Amino acid sequence: MDSIHDLGGKQGFGPVTVTEDEPAFPEAWEGRAYGLVQSVGDPGSTIDWFRHIVELMPPAAYLTEPYFQKWQYVQIIELIQAGKLSMDEVLSGQASKPGDPASKRSLEKVLAIIHDKNHSFERKIDAGPAFVLNQRVRTKRHMTAGHTRLPAYARDSLGDVIAHHGSHALPDAGARGEDVGEHLYTVRFTAAELWGDEANPNDDVTLDLWESYLVPA
Amino acid sequence: MATFDREDAAKLARHLHSHLPSDPALRTKTLESLLVERGFVAPETIDAWVEAYSEHIGPKRGAQVVARSWVDPAFRARLMDDATAAIAEFGFDGDATGHLKAVENTDTQHHLIVCTLCSCYPFSLLGMSPAWYKSAAYRARAVREPRQVLSEFGVDLPETVGVRVWDSTAELRYLVVPQRPANTDGWDEARLAALVTRNAMIGTARHLKTEAA
Repeated sequence: MDSIHDLGGKQGFGPVTVTEDEPAFPEAWEGRAYGLVQSVGDPGSTIDWFRHIVELMPPAAYLTEPYFQKWQYVQIIELIQAGKLSMDEVLSGQASKPGDPASKRSLEKVLAIIHDKNHSFERKIDAGPAFVLNQRVRTKRHMTAGHTRLPAYARDSLGDVIAHHGSHALPDAGARGEDVGEHLYTVRFTAAELWGDEANPNDDVTLDLWESYLVPA
Repeated sequence: MATFDREDAAKLARHLHSHLPSDPALRTKTLESLLVERGFVAPETIDAWVEAYSEHIGPKRGAQVVARSWVDPAFRARLMDDATAAIAEFGFDGDATGHLKAVENTDTQHHLIVCTLCSCYPFSLLGMSPAWYKSAAYRARAVREPRQVLSEFGVDLPETVGVRVWDSTAELRYLVVPQRPANTDGWDEARLAALVTRNAMIGTARHLKTEAA
């Protein structure tokens, strides 16, 4: 969808605030918010639906909410949609009905969960790839109200396939709760193709793009 | 179960934006209390998640991988061929590294990693991402004016060194392997790993410092 999350190439943000090193969670609430999202969710959700909910935030909120607040929006929305929390509970902080205390997870258990999140997104499909290495391709306009991983700055642009990764779960479908495999490629675009004459001729940008985002050039 | 109802999700997001208190610490405390009272989570579990990424998982993992690639040509070959399998040799595979690709800087090529659409990052290899990586300024500008962004990090590249920016639009995650500094012949892996910074593994640093190592 065409909202403010699609930031590539947008101008006016000023310099990057550079840090060399910083704690994992510079503010204490960030660690709590991260841990909550990892611990309480909707097992029926998908990574793509999670990202799409972030995209559905009002643009003003998207630009001003800290990173883990965006995750917290998603967590709250998923829990409300799953019927596990009500909006009244979220805004009042008052539980509608207390539950038995949850069991505690140890550090070792959490480290094991993180290790087990080594998910593969590969999905075997019967169809062979439509494109081959070094083939020139063009990205589609591909404008949708739904979720997609083709950024606006790379629409309708010419690039070259530099890698084929087999078929992976298509995010556009994942955000609708569907598990659909499609061939995935890394496509290289010259900086000049994307950004015009001001670009350095030695520079390029690569994107990982699904087959339905592409047509033969 | 998830509804995948986008109109409803957008409506809920607007309602939260209008009604949640502005202080993120207060919001988070309120939500944690609610989820604990409902019996969905124990506070000690959240402590464990914080400890995992504060004490155990961070960029030192990636630095060990880079250092080994400098001293062990067979490992380097495995890393470049299949980085997910290579980091599993250390037990560093995990959250968001199911499809990891390593890219090496050379005298004529510099690599820079970004996620313009969200903030994808190889958590189990590099830990929590830095604030700048998640910032609108970095996500917007890294693909369009990488040389200006790099100069803000103190990296001034000659015109002749190409910049390749990898926008993490799928579930592939990227590790930049910086060049081994000169004058480190004979250094062991641990001493070399101490030179490798988080920013170098994202591509916003290029020449690693050897003093004070």
